[in-house]
Amino acid sequence: MATVHNWQLGRDMEYPYEGARPEKQFCMIMDTNKCIACQSCTIACKSTWTWGKGQEYMLWNNIETKPFGFYPTGWDVNVLDLLAEQSWNGGTYEGKTLFEAAPTGEKVLGWTPDEEDWNHPNLGEDEPTGDAETVPYLAENPHSMMWMYYLQRICNHCTYPACVAACPRDAIYKRPEDGIVLVDQERCRGYQECLTACPYKKTMFNLETRVSEKCIGCYPKVEQGLQTQCTTACIGRLRLTNFLSHPDEVDPRKPADYLVHVKKLALPLYPQLGLEPNVYYVPPVHVPVDYLTQMFGPGVEQAIETYRGAKDDPELLGLLMLFGSTERIIDTFDVKKGVARGYDENGKEIVAVPLREPTFVRPFEFVSEVKGEQVTGYRHNT
Amino acid sequence: MSEETTITRRDALLAAGTLAAVGAAGVGAAGVIGLVGTPEPPGEPHLTAPFATGGVPLDDPAADAWNAAPESVIPVQAQNVAPPMLPTAGLLELRARALHDGDALAFRLQWDDEDVDDLDAVHRFHDAVAVMLPTSPGPPPAITMGARGTPTHILQWRATWERDLTGKTGVDQVYPRVVHDVMPDDVLPPETAKLYWVGRAVGNPLSAETRETPIEQIVAEGYGTTTHLPRTDASGHGVHNGSSWTVALGLPTNREGIGAPLEPGSIWSVAFAVWLGNQQNRGGRKHYANWVKLTLAPRE
Repeated sequence: MATVHNWQLGRDMEYPYEGARPEKQFCMIMDTNKCIACQSCTIACKSTWTWGKGQEYMLWNNIETKPFGFYPTGWDVNVLDLLAEQSWNGGTYEGKTLFEAAPTGEKVLGWTPDEEDWNHPNLGEDEPTGDAETVPYLAENPHSMMWMYYLQRICNHCTYPACVAACPRDAIYKRPEDGIVLVDQERCRGYQECLTACPYKKTMFNLETRVSEKCIGCYPKVEQGLQTQCTTACIGRLRLTNFLSHPDEVDPRKPADYLVHVKKLALPLYPQLGLEPNVYYVPPVHVPVDYLTQMFGPGVEQAIETYRGAKDDPELLGLLMLFGSTERIIDTFDVKKGVARGYDENGKEIVAVPLREPTFVRPFEFVSEVKGEQVTGYRHNT
Repeated sequence: MSEETTITRRDALLAAGTLAAVGAAGVGAAGVIGLVGTPEPPGEPHLTAPFATGGVPLDDPAADAWNAAPESVIPVQAQNVAPPMLPTAGLLELRARALHDGDALAFRLQWDDEDVDDLDAVHRFHDAVAVMLPTSPGPPPAITMGARGTPTHILQWRATWERDLTGKTGVDQVYPRVVHDVMPDDVLPPETAKLYWVGRAVGNPLSAETRETPIEQIVAEGYGTTTHLPRTDASGHGVHNGSSWTVALGLPTNREGIGAPLEPGSIWSVAFAVWLGNQQNRGGRKHYANWVKLTLAPRE
């Protein structure tokens, strides 16, 4: 076992391989507040990559309702149950990671889904919590009313993947150029150890080819400077494909660095598991903080406050408006004089988005000439 | 242990205990290879392959020729040397016979398994058995499928590959009432449609659409290094009778390009592994037998 540093946990931890960070790390930012679960992202991914035979049940991207929705059933509550209660001390995680809590003879603490668990992605969809008999539907305190929200999930292309750790054949690897994690289709022998190990359950077995597959981070697009299919298809414009730097090398002009390291608005998913996942979420502002802290770590309250203040923060607001504005990956951005701009790696402008659309209100009453006579007209701005 | 010609279960289990104790060092009690005339320690499992003048029945586990081959009971144990491990054994023994004729060496292997597991699916695994041979005579390599520099040569029979020979196997067989909407090969030219079976497109042997033999030939230099050999000269056939599998499998003895030939009159080490699909055995989660002495009778 090697010792590696996990910045999300604020400490070193054990991992079966030596730590090696990629040149740049593929990441995705999700603004959960904007999601309506239209599943356009899911359809985009499925119709691109997983519409083949043997892949019928696979959802490399899925949207599930929280708290009662899962794909596969119980994926997060089961692994949290296994790990049992752990604790944070401020920004430092004092509990065990899945590697540190691995049972003797195993590399990762994990549970194995049954076949049936993959068959009900809509279970719990649109189901809020709260007992309708006792919880007021409209309440003064939003945290006492019934709530639910949508969680968007892809492979997190973790810095310390559990799938990589569990594979006995080194058939899963993390690309050094962009940190995308892939299953080597030639090397895999279908042992499905990765299916047990990945806590997010994003490696999946292909019933026809008898080897396992996973989200590929749309690497053919990323290699061309384009955002992923799920990002591009999102009609809520809530996703951003980007590259995240290590906290010691932050560049505030880079969108992911700005949102994750500078504003601390976007948080990792279940960081306590210890994988250093690279999909970051703006937490839903209406959900109880206790629930969110278990899911996104200790920075939730501050992130919600930052988000609520975005209307008075033109730089943050401008960046959020760049989401969904271009299919190309934005390397740097700036917001000047009410316009947010995204630039490519050469500094060339890709896209410009005004923070306010220019508006012109036509007057209600106006005068014009008809057959030589002055006529007053009334215009309804409908 | 008493001197008996048949090995009792108690003796086999005691032998397994002894072998397990020295197994980690890679040289079992059966490691006295090449020393012709050394008496066998009593009670240790060993396998004798008579010379079969009428040819070896590579593809027929029920052939009469097998009656001439003495059966050895080989104890197996759960793999717990390296992860992923098998926590509990579901099998205690494998019954083995061997025959050779100067051109081919064949084994007939039988083990108890009530279920036929011949389709792979999510968390569903298949039945299999494997024979492991060193690539050169002398003390055998580490039992952990060899080590760097000391390779092993493995033949693996799989129930899924056996079933593949009888027709299509895949989603439609795992879920007979499945309904597909539109599949790539419904709307795309074959070469493009093939890209959606990625394992198949890159030539992964597990994903092959057609198969010629249910036996995979493998070379390995330790756990995690299984390497497929693109050869089809090993063959075999497995049959299930409701309570056990019986598998005949064999290979040409010249082993050209892989290892030293398996000559009549020579003594080798051989090891075995069994996977029970209904107990989620796969890969390192297997039952294995330690090295056993294999004597190839002289040519008649």
